[in-house]
Amino acid sequence: MTFPMDSGKDCVRAWEMMPWVLQDTATQEQGAWLDSHLAQCEACRAEFAQQSRLRLALSLPADVPVDADAGLGRLLARLDTPDPQQAPLRPRAGNWLSRALVAAVLVQALGIGILGVKLWSVGGSPSYRTLSQETLPATPGTIRVVPDANMTLADWNALLHALRLQVVNGPNDVGAYTVAPVSPASTAQHVLQQLRTTRGILLAEPVAATP
Amino acid sequence: MNDDDTDSDVTDRMLLQRMSAGDRAALGILYRSYHGRLCRFLTRLTRRADVIEEVINDCFWIAWQKAGSFHGDSRVSTWLMGIAYRCGLKALRQHGDEPVEDDARHEERNSAPDLDEDRELRDWLSKGLDRLSADQRVVIELVYGVGHTLDDVAVIMQCPVGTVKARLFHARVKLRNVLPSLAGDSPKRSESAP
Repeated sequence: MTFPMDSGKDCVRAWEMMPWVLQDTATQEQGAWLDSHLAQCEACRAEFAQQSRLRLALSLPADVPVDADAGLGRLLARLDTPDPQQAPLRPRAGNWLSRALVAAVLVQALGIGILGVKLWSVGGSPSYRTLSQETLPATPGTIRVVPDANMTLADWNALLHALRLQVVNGPNDVGAYTVAPVSPASTAQHVLQQLRTTRGILLAEPVAATP
Repeated sequence: MNDDDTDSDVTDRMLLQRMSAGDRAALGILYRSYHGRLCRFLTRLTRRADVIEEVINDCFWIAWQKAGSFHGDSRVSTWLMGIAYRCGLKALRQHGDEPVEDDARHEERNSAPDLDEDRELRDWLSKGLDRLSADQRVVIELVYGVGHTLDDVAVIMQCPVGTVKARLFHARVKLRNVLPSLAGDSPKRSESAP
């Protein structure tokens, strides 16, 4: 700190002591020392005079009229309000922003929840499957077929096409395919008969719908 | 702390004790006893009478709620001033740090029966305080107006004593640079130390 007076240590000491002497909280010795310093230092005397005037001005009562009785009445009425925790909280100008943010978060959470439930329900029954999957939905008319190893792909495809069948699984380890009718209109028994009579088909057995 | 301060603190503590037991009469006594100095203190932060009353009531609301948990680490006056200071800052954040409006001040002054001498002194002071920050005005009020020590002010403003010292120093330097040219007449008070 740089002191505003061009003086020595005594002036610095006097400067620091002034508020406490004015407050009457300085010791008698400090007061006496300051008196003696002021008697010989014009700058500090002027400073102390200003400080005295400052204290006098600050000791004047407030010039903004505030009615103590009315204020106390309102305070006592506040004590009687049913929700005392809310009473001292005044509506803030910024409260609407907080509320809007909370509302936005709630709406987002609700949306995410609804989306989650929807996805969960869709995910429970996938509309596709791969041939490598072990489990096969047992649809009516499904037939397990074992073609001869010498049967050509063209013959196999022609057979499936003629009987309106499609491969839904296989071949497995023993070369068995699972085939199903392309449309439910085909009669399972008839198709089964046709397969069994076809040359190159070693086995044709219906797959039970329920194990 | 002199004897008067000690006596008044003892009285204040008794009032707080009664308040903690739900004694509203004690609240009324403490309220009236501090109303004047809190009003003056808060005028250093705002000139709005409604805000000042709101802050005083918030302050005593908290005092009413916490009277039972007052442990006496400081004087009651220091404790109350600290609450009022924090409530005042909160009110400033809500209502904005409104500068002193000359028109409003004249209206208010006209309603108060000020002597010419007092009016001149108020003008002199307000021109000086207008140059200070809110924190500097608060420190000046607490030290010169209320008569608190640096330690008390540090408790009230919840900051280190060194910060209070620095605020007081800079406020005094600013006032010293501004006020002499505005002072006009020689000081009304004796130059001798008390």
